[in-house]
Amino acid sequence: MLKVTNLHATVGGKSILNGITLEVKPGEIHAIMGPNGSGKSTLANVIAGRDGYEVTQGSIEYLGKDLMQLEPEERACEGIFLAFQYPVEIPGVSNMAMLKAAMNSMRKYHGQEEIKAGEFLKLIRQKADLVEMKHEFLKRAVNEGFSGGEKKRNEILQMAMLEPKLALLDETDSGLDIDALKIVSHGVNALRSPERAMVLVTHYQRLLDYIVPDYVHVLANGKIIKSGDKSLALELEAKGYSWIDGMDDTAAAVQQAS
Amino acid sequence: MITANENQSWVTAHADVALTGANVAWLNQQRQSALTQFEKVGLPGVRDEDWRYTNLRALKSNEYAFSSASALTIELAETTNPRLVFVDGHLDIAASTGLSDSVTSLKDSLELVAPYFGSTLPKEPHGFTSLNTAYAHDGYVVHLKLGQVLDGVLEVVFVSQSADAVSHTRNLIITEANTQCTIVERHIGAHGTVYLNNVITEIIAGDNAHIDHYKIQQESDDAFHMGGIFINQSASSQVKNHNIALSGLVTRNDIYTNMLGQGAHMEMNGLVVGQGRQHIDNHTEVNHAVPNCTSDEYYKTVLDDHSRSVFRGRIIVAKDAQLTNADQQNNNLLLSKDAEADCKPQLEIYADDVKCSHGATVGQLDPVSLFYLKSRGINAESANALLTFAFANEVIDRIKVDSVRQELTQILAGELLSGLEELV
Repeated sequence: MLKVTNLHATVGGKSILNGITLEVKPGEIHAIMGPNGSGKSTLANVIAGRDGYEVTQGSIEYLGKDLMQLEPEERACEGIFLAFQYPVEIPGVSNMAMLKAAMNSMRKYHGQEEIKAGEFLKLIRQKADLVEMKHEFLKRAVNEGFSGGEKKRNEILQMAMLEPKLALLDETDSGLDIDALKIVSHGVNALRSPERAMVLVTHYQRLLDYIVPDYVHVLANGKIIKSGDKSLALELEAKGYSWIDGMDDTAAAVQQAS
Repeated sequence: MITANENQSWVTAHADVALTGANVAWLNQQRQSALTQFEKVGLPGVRDEDWRYTNLRALKSNEYAFSSASALTIELAETTNPRLVFVDGHLDIAASTGLSDSVTSLKDSLELVAPYFGSTLPKEPHGFTSLNTAYAHDGYVVHLKLGQVLDGVLEVVFVSQSADAVSHTRNLIITEANTQCTIVERHIGAHGTVYLNNVITEIIAGDNAHIDHYKIQQESDDAFHMGGIFINQSASSQVKNHNIALSGLVTRNDIYTNMLGQGAHMEMNGLVVGQGRQHIDNHTEVNHAVPNCTSDEYYKTVLDDHSRSVFRGRIIVAKDAQLTNADQQNNNLLLSKDAEADCKPQLEIYADDVKCSHGATVGQLDPVSLFYLKSRGINAESANALLTFAFANEVIDRIKVDSVRQELTQILAGELLSGLEELV
């Protein structure tokens, strides 16, 4: 589904990704872990098409297409969803209005009819229940005045509505207390399916207690320096990132080079 | 530059008009001094500091004449509110409802308005204001007696439909103590018609009067709109003015309030949506003459294409006006590189125990918000439209009267949310 090959990217001339290679197949859950500044969030944002990142080398192939040729909104219509680390507040645009605009924009892209008002309402209420969001939040401006936990739940609500093929969750666990983490994880787990792939970007192992990944990759200095199964995350938790740096010659070499 | 001859032509053009109240001495006196003032200052030009960003060449290159009364040719939307209709400055009685002891026309109320007419005007009015006084033909008068509440919403529609017509309209809202009213003024015009709508509304707010005044300007795209709203506020009066300018070729509004009694509050909300070559100039002035008054000013502008806006917001706090609390915000959104917003906050504070704040911004849509919407599959055009609408609608959201707010939201959606109107 997603094939990232030797990806290099810079922000404002500073190189952040230094040769990422990653393949994600339908149904798989990949966790990307790593210390602050390792490039985890950059990877997610580059895949989603955020401005300000320059891909200097390598490629991203998604469902056989060259992703770099697509605008962010086209990527979304093709099934890529980014749950933001810092969800954006949009005063004056209600949650419902945004999601309706999004669904209809996607339907138009695929040559489908607009969703009927009643059908939309039923769907959004059902998905709000999934993330235990009160229905009055649906009428409120997108993320405006929401707590950290409410914002993250709202991201999962959007994901549930838009039913992506590839979901990128950028530090969805950050700033969540244990109850909110359970709600968010429950929402994410409910969306697991053999057709849908997910990439979880996270700093902590904690999230992976609730959303169990198939693969764990450790990122340092813009490169994947170690890959394994879920046990790798536990080992990281126990020994810290320095353990990997110490173990892995590649990481040490990259660190020296940078 | 304006020559004396050009100014003279405005006077001679109006010379043989049958004036309202031609035999009323006090009015004739006011008219005479207004003409003297006009002869002194003439029409404004870019050399006048208060007009330096507003070029009136197009307005001056055309000639205007009073239009006689004609039947309404524009179809108005149905309403359940009482509604007065003026056509080219003439009250269309057949099309109007809601006339009463409290709601009358200027022509029928000269005796009533005598002590108030002109009482709110600036000391050195500009040429359009003077012309308005000199040639005021008609207008609406709302007069509320002690404790009176005007039920519901009074609508007044000013329709301009004759080419090259000029209307000098003078409205007065006169309220005694403990009164309440909501008045919506609409200015609309026949599409493609050139005319000059010169309209002044004077508001005299009695003690503890609550006045909610709306001005919705949807003139013809070729029209000139010169507007004045001049307010005198007594103690504890609460006046809100909502100034929504959506079309017209050149628009100028002077909105001035004098706080003359303690505890008065003024809210000025403004929204400008400019397209094409529209030019919209809003000059506001809040004169805190006495202590313990508050004012809250919130103006937003959205400009596309080659449109231009001017915002001049002056707040004067007199030496004795302690404990004044005044706030002013002016935010401008430019959607095109050819659009221009000039904003000029002016705070003149002579008292020392006051709280005054002001802020002005000029900018584009937030790229992070745009990316957020696009990452949800919303195409660039719709994402732009949604954020632009949201920016502008914050002004509309301050409107407390549900029916007016909902209607304005729909109008705004029609202007800015093409194809997505059903989202609001």
